[in-house]
Amino acid sequence: MRRCKAPAGAGIAVGILLAALVASGCDSSVEPGTPPGAGHTARLIIGVAQDAGPLNIYTSDARFDFLVELVYDKLFAPSPYVDSPRPWLADTATAVDAETWDVTLRRGVKWQDGEAFTAADVKFTFEYFRDGPANRYTHHVSEVPRIDEVEALADYRLRFRCATPCPTLRDVTMADLPILPKHIWQGVTEPRNFSAMPIGTGPYKLVGYSAGQRYRFEANRNYFMGAPTVDELVFPVIPDQSTMFVALRTGEIDASARPLPPELLKQFQRSAEIKVVRTQALSIVELRINYERAPLNDPSVRLALSLAIDRQALVDTVLLGRGRAASHGYPHPDSPWTNPKNSASFDRQRAGIMLSEAGLVDRDGDGIRESPTGRKLAFTLKVAATEPAQLRIAELLARQFASAGVSLAVESEDQTAITKLFGSREFELYLAEIGPHGVADPDQFVVSQGSGYLWKKGLPYPEMDALTKEYIASSGKDARLDVLFRMQTLFNQRPTSFALYYPEEHWAFRRGAFDKWVESAGYGIVNKWSFLSSESRQGVIVRDPGP
Amino acid sequence: MNAQTIAARAFPLAITVWAALTLNFALPRLAPGDPLDYILGDDVATLSAAQRKAASKEFGLDAPLPVQYFDYLRGIATADLGNSIRYGTPVSGLLAERVGWTLLLALPAAVLSVVTGTALGAIAAWNRGRPKETSVMAGILLADAMPAFWVGMLLVAVFSLELGWLPSFGAFPAGGAEGLNVVGEVGKRLVMPMTAIVLATVGQPFLVARGAVTSSLGEDYIQTAQAKGLSTRAVLFRHALRASMLPVLTSFTLTLGALAGGVVVVETVFAYPGVGRLVFDAIRARDYPLLQGAFLLFTVTVIAANWVSDLLYERFDPRAREERE
Repeated sequence: MRRCKAPAGAGIAVGILLAALVASGCDSSVEPGTPPGAGHTARLIIGVAQDAGPLNIYTSDARFDFLVELVYDKLFAPSPYVDSPRPWLADTATAVDAETWDVTLRRGVKWQDGEAFTAADVKFTFEYFRDGPANRYTHHVSEVPRIDEVEALADYRLRFRCATPCPTLRDVTMADLPILPKHIWQGVTEPRNFSAMPIGTGPYKLVGYSAGQRYRFEANRNYFMGAPTVDELVFPVIPDQSTMFVALRTGEIDASARPLPPELLKQFQRSAEIKVVRTQALSIVELRINYERAPLNDPSVRLALSLAIDRQALVDTVLLGRGRAASHGYPHPDSPWTNPKNSASFDRQRAGIMLSEAGLVDRDGDGIRESPTGRKLAFTLKVAATEPAQLRIAELLARQFASAGVSLAVESEDQTAITKLFGSREFELYLAEIGPHGVADPDQFVVSQGSGYLWKKGLPYPEMDALTKEYIASSGKDARLDVLFRMQTLFNQRPTSFALYYPEEHWAFRRGAFDKWVESAGYGIVNKWSFLSSESRQGVIVRDPGP
Repeated sequence: MNAQTIAARAFPLAITVWAALTLNFALPRLAPGDPLDYILGDDVATLSAAQRKAASKEFGLDAPLPVQYFDYLRGIATADLGNSIRYGTPVSGLLAERVGWTLLLALPAAVLSVVTGTALGAIAAWNRGRPKETSVMAGILLADAMPAFWVGMLLVAVFSLELGWLPSFGAFPAGGAEGLNVVGEVGKRLVMPMTAIVLATVGQPFLVARGAVTSSLGEDYIQTAQAKGLSTRAVLFRHALRASMLPVLTSFTLTLGALAGGVVVVETVFAYPGVGRLVFDAIRARDYPLLQGAFLLFTVTVIAANWVSDLLYERFDPRAREERE
């Protein structure tokens, strides 16, 4: 009797196992990549920390640009975060006058489903972004600048007419907007609910997506810039940081699309099988301020608090020196659009004087300043519980502020609750990291002055309003830069967000699996340029990451 | 057991299910933030009121809560759980895709946990007051006190990183596998998550069995069995443990409840593609339809297990049967 039970149990187990495989649609028949040719890699497995959905650009934010841009291309490349993007889907873009640009497109480009790429697709994309539901790209066509008309002059020629001068249309807008296929998207009325696999002109086609589990891309061998050097890219989703880096060490993945945390750096640098490279993140870890609440609505109080922050101590203590103190303030100093003279200094004594001048002094001798009405100068600082480095930063900030007579209570919440604060405005201070789209894109900086992030529409700020008007009216790139630099100077004198540090990122990958990684500003090393031949990426500003 | 009895038992269960469904609807909405905050990130603040309203409408979030609640109940009644906001695909499809993996992991883990815990509990009771009991007890309580995620990380550090015996994540090789190799690869990836779950849940059946067997060891029938010259194993497992099966059965159903929480943590640590991991992602994304669907699955599973346990009680315990009759 017992003898019968064991096989039955085993049978059930095997049955469940097989049923699970069938039910889970596990792709046991994953086709290995085409046998590698000269200089080709058959397959790379790169761990990603989060699922980005089915790469619908309406539901994936800027953190996932590195995946989105494997599929989609832009008119200019690589991004708005470099000084002079080069033509990509476009051949040329010429300013006819201050408000008008003529663009000729590259011929012979095909969508991944074989349809021809034409001016109709570009016209459709710009108009869809301008008139349809909002996404992260739309402000580049509906606000700064506002594009009034996109005219297809011929199959491969277009004319763009802006409502106001648009000198950055080529270097910013055209370098940021992914071009969509009209024949697919023209029937989509609810783009946020669109879940079909994306079709682009890019070097990779998304051929497999299991929600929350993995992405599988195959090389587009007909790519107009030449076939990519890796035939297949697999991105398993590994949410847990320690699991991700164990998988890298054991060789289950070839690289991680998540930067190496500082505490693992030395251990990985000692490894013979793994190489670690360094890039500049083009992001800022910042202290966001509710500039509508007293006393934070007083610019001198905000500046005093900024002066009370020893940014270098934050970097030395928490990041173990792996980053740069944000002594150049906001936005990111590595952006070609940032005033090199921006500064955010540490001067606790001056901070104290400014707070006292604002009537905030310690009247009861408990070490915390009070307002003339007796209200304590005390704030709550919210921080994401999932960001250990930011939690430590918050604790250190509390100590630094205490030295200036300011009390800071640190509260941790989950990441989505922290994001919610942005819209709800129910906070005094919170920590966040903002990426290149926010801190290296000049038009976004201007938009942010009215979006609620750096300032809010309708809230009086005549000095910044005047500069914004001047920016929008200026017709040359140099003139824009001049205004932009003055806006940044004003911002850092009356900050509504304190840049704390500019993170430095380290990327780890297995030696021998692939050795053609390049850095593209703001994208780290996992970006489409790494997978294109050196001839294809010529002229696109990429660099070898540093040791 | 006749149909009337089953129906009488089913009514309170229906009330329980309704209350649980209502909680499943309410809890995700009580958390700060909503799906738009996650999907649009900081860009949500750049939307005008009209744009935000349009986005909410696309996801069905603009309707008043009572309307959403009614739609939710109607969806359950018609087996339509809606579309996931995060993934844009039907919730039922996502759950169907994942539930097999969770069953493969959780069912054997639950059985293993109860069998191991019960056997060790019985042995501890037999050896009450002796060093054997102390050492088993200390080991089990230590395992029980360790959080599942931490156990998982320890297992990964030892068996993946140091020894290189087992793969560290997933249910399947990221690059694919073929033929019979598939079964081996899947099996290897089950070992550590299953161990983590067993260690995290073994404490309860252990303590229950130890308590129950300890009480029965003083009974006359045990002395009779010993007097008959039966071996220790026979006395312990055929008589003492058998009479203690009722609390063990209860413990099994409670273990199923605990598993619902356990799989969320363990599947996340091991990037295992089950329902638990789906719940973790859905919570982060405030994906209401997906959370409701997954919670529904957990709720129905736990309540059904308790119901079955309730029905089985009478089969195991003649006193309960007599009481009913």
